Amino acid sequence: MTDLAIEGGRAGRTRDRWAVTGWKFALPGLSMIAIVMGFPLVYAVLLSLSSFTLLHPKLQPFIGLENFSTVMADEYFWHSVWLTIKYSSITVTAEFLLGLGVALMLNRVVRLKAVYFAVLTIPMAMSPVSVALIWHMLLQPNLGIVNRLFELFGHPGFDWLGSTGLAFWSVVFVDVWQQVSFVILILAAGLASLPREPYEAASVDGANELQQFWYLTLPMLRPIAAIAIIIQLINEFRTYDLVYVLTKGGPGISTDLLSYFAYKRAFLGLTINEGSATSFVLLGMVLVLTVLFFRIITRKA
Amino acid sequence: MRFRHLTAWLGGISLAALMTAGANTAHADQITLHALMEDVPETQIIEAMLPQFEKDTGIKVEFQKLVYSEMHDKLVTQLTGQSSYYNVLEVDFLWAGEFPEAGWLADLKPFVDKSGFDLKPFFPSMLDLVGYHKGTLYMIPMYNYSMGLIYRTDLLADAKLAGAYKAATGKDLALPASLAEYVALSKFMKASGGVAGAAMQGQRGDPNSMEFSNYLFSAGGAYLDKDRKVVLNSPEGLKALELYVDNIKNGAQQGALSATLDDTYRLMCDGKAFSMVTYWWMLPQLDSKEKCPNVAGKVALAVMPGGHGESGGWGWAIPKNESPELQEAAWKFISWVQGEKISIARGLEGHAPVRSDTYENKDVLAKYPFYKQALDVVASGQSFPIFAYSAQYEDVLGRQLSLAASGESKPSDALKEAADGLDGLMKKSQ
Repeated sequence: MTDLAIEGGRAGRTRDRWAVTGWKFALPGLSMIAIVMGFPLVYAVLLSLSSFTLLHPKLQPFIGLENFSTVMADEYFWHSVWLTIKYSSITVTAEFLLGLGVALMLNRVVRLKAVYFAVLTIPMAMSPVSVALIWHMLLQPNLGIVNRLFELFGHPGFDWLGSTGLAFWSVVFVDVWQQVSFVILILAAGLASLPREPYEAASVDGANELQQFWYLTLPMLRPIAAIAIIIQLINEFRTYDLVYVLTKGGPGISTDLLSYFAYKRAFLGLTINEGSATSFVLLGMVLVLTVLFFRIITRKA
Repeated sequence: MRFRHLTAWLGGISLAALMTAGANTAHADQITLHALMEDVPETQIIEAMLPQFEKDTGIKVEFQKLVYSEMHDKLVTQLTGQSSYYNVLEVDFLWAGEFPEAGWLADLKPFVDKSGFDLKPFFPSMLDLVGYHKGTLYMIPMYNYSMGLIYRTDLLADAKLAGAYKAATGKDLALPASLAEYVALSKFMKASGGVAGAAMQGQRGDPNSMEFSNYLFSAGGAYLDKDRKVVLNSPEGLKALELYVDNIKNGAQQGALSATLDDTYRLMCDGKAFSMVTYWWMLPQLDSKEKCPNVAGKVALAVMPGGHGESGGWGWAIPKNESPELQEAAWKFISWVQGEKISIARGLEGHAPVRSDTYENKDVLAKYPFYKQALDVVASGQSFPIFAYSAQYEDVLGRQLSLAASGESKPSDALKEAADGLDGLMKKSQ
C-alpha cells in the first residue's frame, strides 16, 4: 500500500514535471502567437468599437456597435456582401471541379510527374498582385495579347475589364487560374494516399471506373476535399489584391467585393474604425460558413 | 607557434572590425532622405539632378517610385506611425486638406523665414492649392498638373476627313469651341477617322473623377460655389455628365471604363486616338520622336473646349514625425529643388513649373514654345473640392460616374447621388 502510494505519487509528480516542462517549451511559441496574432486582433476589436479615425486617432470614446450599424446602413455594403458570397461560391466551385479533374488525371500519369507538378506550382508561387498585373496587361482591350488573338480570327475581342457583364467573370477567371493549382496539389496528394485494396476488391466485384470513382474515390477523398474547400473559401472571401489591381471595384460596382469595401472605408475614408467593423463582419461570415460547411462534411462522412 | 597564429588571427579580426566600424561611422555621417514619388516624367527629371544635390550638400536623396493609385495608402500608413520612412513628402492637391487636418505635416514657415526662401515667384493660385491650408504653410508647390486637351493636328487637317465632317454636320472640321462640339467631333473621329475619338481614362476613382471634372468645368458647372455650398447637381452638371457618358459609349476606345492614364497615353502614343483630356505636360512625351514616333510632330495642346479644365498640382512637405536634423535636411532639398536655378533647369527638361520666372525664361520658351498654351491651361484651371475627405469623395464620385457610364444608373440619379455624397462629406469634415 505504502509502496503503491509512493509509486503513484512519483508517477503524478513526473507527469506534473513533464507538463510544466512542456508548457515551458511551448511558452516562447505561444507568446509569439499572442503578440503576432492576438494583439492585432484585440486591437482591431477595440478599433471597431471606438471612435478612432486617422484624422482623430484616439480610441476613446468607445461607441459600442455604432460603427457596425453605420456600415450596415450603407446600401453598397449589402451589395458587396452578396457579391462576395457569389464570387466565393463560384470561384471555390470552379477551383474544386477543375482541381479534382486535373488531380485525377495526374494520378494516372507515370512519366514526367515531377515536371507537371513543378509547372502547376508556378501560379501558386506568384503573388496575387503580380498575377493581377500580368493579366491586366494580357486582357488590355486595345494592346493586350488576348484580344490580339481574337483579331487573328477576325473578331475584335472583348472589353474584359471594362464591361459590367464581363469584368466580374474576368476577375473570377484570373483568381481560378492562380488558385486552382493549390487545390490540385492537395487533392493529388490525397489521391496518392488512398489505399489500393478497396479498388482491387471493387475490380474483382466487377465495378467499373465510374462506380469506383463515385463509391470509393469520392467518399475516401472527402476529408481532404473538405480541407481544400474550407481553405479556399477563406481565401476567396478575403480577395482584395485582384480587385485592387484589375478593376478598383468597377465598372460601376460590378467587382466591389467586401474586402475592397473595407479597404476604402479604412484608407480612403480614413475611418479605420468602420473598416475594422467591416472586416469583423467578413470574419463572421467566413467563420459561420466554415463551421456550417465543416459540420455538413463531417456529418455525411 | 600556435599562440603567434592565434595573435595574428585575433589581430586581423580586430583590424577588420575597426575598419568596418570606421566605414559605418563615415556612412552614418551622411544623411539619406527618402521620398515616395509618383512614377511620372517630372520625377525622372528631378531624379537625374539628384547627384548634383548630393555633391552640393552631401545629402543623399533616394526616390521610391510608385503609380499614383498606391501612393496615398502607403503615405498614410507611414505618417500614422511614430516615425516615417519618408522624410520628404510629395503631396497631391487632393490630400492637401487631409494631411494637415490629420496633423501629419510640419509648418514650413519657420524654415522659410530661417533660410530666407523667396515665395514671391510662386503662382498665388498654386500656393493656395498646394501651399497654405487654413492660413498655415504646409507645402511648397512642386509642379503643376492642370488638364487640357491634347489632339492630333494631322487628323484635324486631313482634307478627306474635313469633307466627310462637312457633309455630315455642315460645319468645318476645326478645334471645338464647346464641350458638346468636342464630343460630337470625338464621335465623328471614331466613326470615320479609324481611331478612337478620345482616349478616355474611365476607371473608377481618381482617373474618371479627374477626367469628368474637366467636362464639368468645361460645361460651366462646378462642385462648390463661392460659399462652399454644393452646386454639383445643376443643369450644367447634368449636361456635362450626359456628354461624358455619351463620349465613353460612342467616342472612346474599347475598354475606356477600365482605362487609366497609362492606358490612354499608350493608346495616344500608338496613334490610335484623336484626342485625350489629360495633363498638359503629357505633350512633350507624346511629341517625342524617341518615345512616340507615330504621333511626334502631330500633336498640340489646347485649353478644354468651353474654357476651363481641371487644375491640379503636387507640393513638397515635411512629416511632423521626423527628427529636427532630418527635417532640416529635407528643407534643404525642397528649397534647392524649388529654387529658381533648378526650376529653370527642370523647365528645360520639360518640367511643369509652378514659378512664374520659369515660364518667362527665354531659354525655356525657346525650347518649348507651347508653354504659352500651358500657361493658359494653368491660368484657366478650376479645382476639385479640397477638404479633409477629398480622397474619399473621389471614390464616391468615381462610383457614380462609373455607374452612369456603364448604363447601370441614369445620369440624373448618379449626379444627385454624387452631389449628396459631397454634401455629406463636407458636413462630416466640419
